Amino acid sequence: MLYRTAGQFKTSYEADFALFPVRQDALLLGVILLFAWLIFPLTASDFAFQTLLIPVLIYSLASLGLNLLTGYAGQLSLGTAAFMGVGAYACYKITTIFPGINLLVALALAGFFPAAIGIVFGLPSLRIKGFYLAIATLAAQFFLVWLFEKWAWLYNYNTSGAIQVPNIRMFGVYVAGPQAASITQYYFVLFVVCLITWFSINITRGRIGRIWKAVRDMDIAAELVGINLMRAKLSAFAISSYVAGVSGALFVFLWRGAAEPNLFDVQLSFRILFIAIIGGLGSILGNFLGAILIVALPVVLNWIPGLFGFSIESAVLQHINTMIIGALIIFFLIVEPLGLARLWGIAREKLILWPFPH
Amino acid sequence: MDLAYQILVKPFSDMVSAPDFLMQVLWDGLVSGVLYALIALGFVLIFKSSRIFNFAQGIMVVFAALTLVGFYQAGVPAWLAVLLTLAVMFVLAVAIERVVLRPLVNQPDIILFMATIGITYFLVGFGEFVFGGENKVMITEQLHIPTGTFEFKPFGGFVSISQTDLTAVIGAGILVTVLLVFLSRTKIGRAIRALGDDHQAALSVGISLSMIWVIVWFIAGIIALATGIVWGARAGVSFALEVIAYKALPVLMLGGLESVLGAIVGGLAIGIFEKLFEIYWGQPLLGGNTETWFAFVFALIVLLFRPQGMFGEKIIERV
Amino acid sequence: MRLFGKFALVGAAMAVSTALAIPASLAEDSLYLPNLAYRTGPFAATGIPLMDGQRDYIAMLNARDGGLNGVKLNYDECETGYNTEKGVECYEKTKDKALVTQPWSTGITLQVLPKSNVDKIPILAPGYGFSPMAEGKIFQWAFNPPASYWDGASMILKYISGGNLDSLKGKKIVLLHLDAPYGKEPIPLFEDMAKKHGFTFLAIPVGVKEMQNQSAQWLQIRREKPDYVLMWGWGAMNAGAASEAVKTHFPMDHFIGIWWSGHDGDMKTVGEGGKGYKSISWSVPVSDAPVMQDIKKYVLDAKVNTIGEGEFDWVFYQRGVLISMFLTEGIKTAQEHFNAKVITPEQLRWGLENLNFDEARIKALGADGMIAPFKTTCADHAGHAGGWILQWDGSKFVKASDLLTADRDAIVPLEQAKAKEYAEANKPWPTNDECKM
Repeated sequence: MLYRTAGQFKTSYEADFALFPVRQDALLLGVILLFAWLIFPLTASDFAFQTLLIPVLIYSLASLGLNLLTGYAGQLSLGTAAFMGVGAYACYKITTIFPGINLLVALALAGFFPAAIGIVFGLPSLRIKGFYLAIATLAAQFFLVWLFEKWAWLYNYNTSGAIQVPNIRMFGVYVAGPQAASITQYYFVLFVVCLITWFSINITRGRIGRIWKAVRDMDIAAELVGINLMRAKLSAFAISSYVAGVSGALFVFLWRGAAEPNLFDVQLSFRILFIAIIGGLGSILGNFLGAILIVALPVVLNWIPGLFGFSIESAVLQHINTMIIGALIIFFLIVEPLGLARLWGIAREKLILWPFPH
Repeated sequence: MDLAYQILVKPFSDMVSAPDFLMQVLWDGLVSGVLYALIALGFVLIFKSSRIFNFAQGIMVVFAALTLVGFYQAGVPAWLAVLLTLAVMFVLAVAIERVVLRPLVNQPDIILFMATIGITYFLVGFGEFVFGGENKVMITEQLHIPTGTFEFKPFGGFVSISQTDLTAVIGAGILVTVLLVFLSRTKIGRAIRALGDDHQAALSVGISLSMIWVIVWFIAGIIALATGIVWGARAGVSFALEVIAYKALPVLMLGGLESVLGAIVGGLAIGIFEKLFEIYWGQPLLGGNTETWFAFVFALIVLLFRPQGMFGEKIIERV
Repeated sequence: MRLFGKFALVGAAMAVSTALAIPASLAEDSLYLPNLAYRTGPFAATGIPLMDGQRDYIAMLNARDGGLNGVKLNYDECETGYNTEKGVECYEKTKDKALVTQPWSTGITLQVLPKSNVDKIPILAPGYGFSPMAEGKIFQWAFNPPASYWDGASMILKYISGGNLDSLKGKKIVLLHLDAPYGKEPIPLFEDMAKKHGFTFLAIPVGVKEMQNQSAQWLQIRREKPDYVLMWGWGAMNAGAASEAVKTHFPMDHFIGIWWSGHDGDMKTVGEGGKGYKSISWSVPVSDAPVMQDIKKYVLDAKVNTIGEGEFDWVFYQRGVLISMFLTEGIKTAQEHFNAKVITPEQLRWGLENLNFDEARIKALGADGMIAPFKTTCADHAGHAGGWILQWDGSKFVKASDLLTADRDAIVPLEQAKAKEYAEANKPWPTNDECKM
């Protein structure tokens, strides 16, 4: 009923190929954006900003980067965290070498470094496939993290080997560093995430996206119909790493405030892979749903015993949480291996047909 | 010129000038290699029979070792504790087959891979919940594993070989031989290999998929226990052991995901090469700690020439 | 129908996860002391006895004295697993009502340090964190009593040189350290000292993934043939290092760790082989000290809390007790000065700036012999107490030296320089100009 498509006629191909062929989709998106831009920021506490809203957005973006590579171009990668790290360190170097630089510009520039490194580590994908490639990307993961540790120039030779985000102003307001207010950081992240998401939607719908999908479904067949595999795979690595790099820079600059090399450990890569898979590979929406589940769920699980008046030792609670998260991952994989985005897809179809299922 | 000397000449002259040290390096590399090979073997068996890339192998090592120590601390004699641990690993294998694998039959590889990471999280939480997070002492002496060291004094220096390590190498050798005989001579072993070759064909000649999976996961559990005992004897049993799973991954790349022989050769090769590289090139020139990535980069370079690993099956792709 | 079942399940999970929880409010007349503890994860083995000690001292105060000056202490652990991300989550969760932040990892300390100026909650990082934090005028909100890592490093050097650092000339000293901010912390001081006193210094890092397999590092030590090996290790790294040292034939009594590397639980895994291993420590376990006996009486025997077998005598358990003591003494000092029962974080800061652990006070607290006297001021947030060398005798740590104190004259310039550097990099950084010391 809510999703009835009756009466929405298409008179041109453009209309049929439009981003929202069904009007209700656009409406729904509008409502979500309204929440994201107005209602959440007005109601959220500092805690909600710092542990739910900002991380969910940043993780979504990182997962989006991975999804472009794995979900759209079919190249499994376990090195996302390292590319995020490259983005973060690049942004750090840029802001410390040019102290007055606009943070948006710094972010945009920082993305190019992971993109270049992504191309280098993407080269093996021309010969290696599947799990072998996945393990090969781990070479990037471990090598780059080691480099963050050893190359003192990257962290400006400071004693602890960790980077600290300086206070950065934009238009007279602190956007990054300890002086920045959560709400400013949230809006900054939201802006960047919306921009890149919009860009990604269009890339995946367009010519490049279709080439990627062809390569994903069967690369030999794609080659036979005249797709340049090298260009397709490397462009996927470059764009994916760019997005991951920007998310890494946001991760450190707009959320964490400081970073040590171990932050970009392989655990983070796995976490992001989880988000992408639970959310749904080959879907933009899935990244957001997955991030909500994987990032916010542990935070919320921590609150549940308190709500019911149990007092459990925090360590025990943590053990139980880890178990629940593991079990939930398996559960979701069994319920819907194609991810949350697919679940939403099914729901939407049902809604369109409702109340006349066939 | 100096750099070229540092890279090309000096390491070798160092090796020649202190041969006892070189022997120690090779021995240490061999021991780590054996351990890597053991973990990789667990991966390979499961991958062969079910196409599952079992990331939970690392935590199974921890879990098995903790269970063993846990039983012993509860007052059970050591030999009985080993048997009970094996029983627990069997129950675990059955549980994983029933709860996780069966509903996920025929899903894409990556989904199964993710499911094993789910198992990893679950076991981490469960293990800490039951056994606590403290570092535990492996019951080396109670299992009659010798703990002394042998000393050799070649070339005026010394090479020390700890008996625990020696036991590990011999034990791993026996385990692997038994496994190879099992796979090639027994009915179940042949069934496992048949499943690895072609699922549908194996099913059509009457091989029970679920039974084989339970058996394979159980064997992986046994290997995990062996690895856990050996590694635990070196540095205690704690959740930090879990990270050794990562060391097995380059071994798999190098040896090939389906090859038992590859896991062994790859494990030894990586163990020795990474130690040599770390000692003679990594520490003097790169600031050390190259062991975290050397194996991966090494395997990557090999893969560029042989995309299915040294012993992997050649993939023939058709449209 | 099956499908709707699916939606119901997923929907429920999503609904729960999107709900924004509201912090529960607390009773007014208690002091909320959160602790970012880690009893899980790869470092749990070292964390558990420390957290137990902290928890039990406060439980004892509540049971014996009904809290501090009649105000109950509400000790609350938030589990981080030594994970920085979880740590920040815990910080955000507790900061609204927290009196203090106890970050318990150098990584988390570095994250919350810049925020402390904004949120105005003191950070208490006893014996860890960033060494220049001792510089109170710059790090107004951070405290690392009773001694910083640099103090520890200096004490060790003093011990091995027998008091005269110049006697180290021509010697070779290796620092085996965890490759993380914590392990790198003493490097600048050692480098500085090596230059001044003519010894060779070499840092050998151990990656977090290599903690349990340090054969490469120890082969390097064997090749380098150092006179002394110092260790900044943590968690599973300590046990791994000790067993490798045995294998390498490194003389155990030339192998000295920082206070976090002197853990009974770690050494137990090595047992007899580790005999002779030393560790510098600002705390000494004295199980029959009155305060420990009170904990036994009011907490352990009364079954308020339980701890592991033998844990009571461990260095780390009793150090945990002392750490809580710093905090409660800070609170008490503030309560008396401001004549208030429930104090604010700003008042606690004053209290921590005026800690006075003199002989009489330590005795009155029932901790005689457990810690060396020290005193903090607004300019000195560490107090720089001395320490002792503890030696492993195969089953426990015993005191093996007289009181050692750090060579402050050598450290202060470096401390000030690094603190300034930090403030400079994090402009605008408020400093305490009222402090005239």
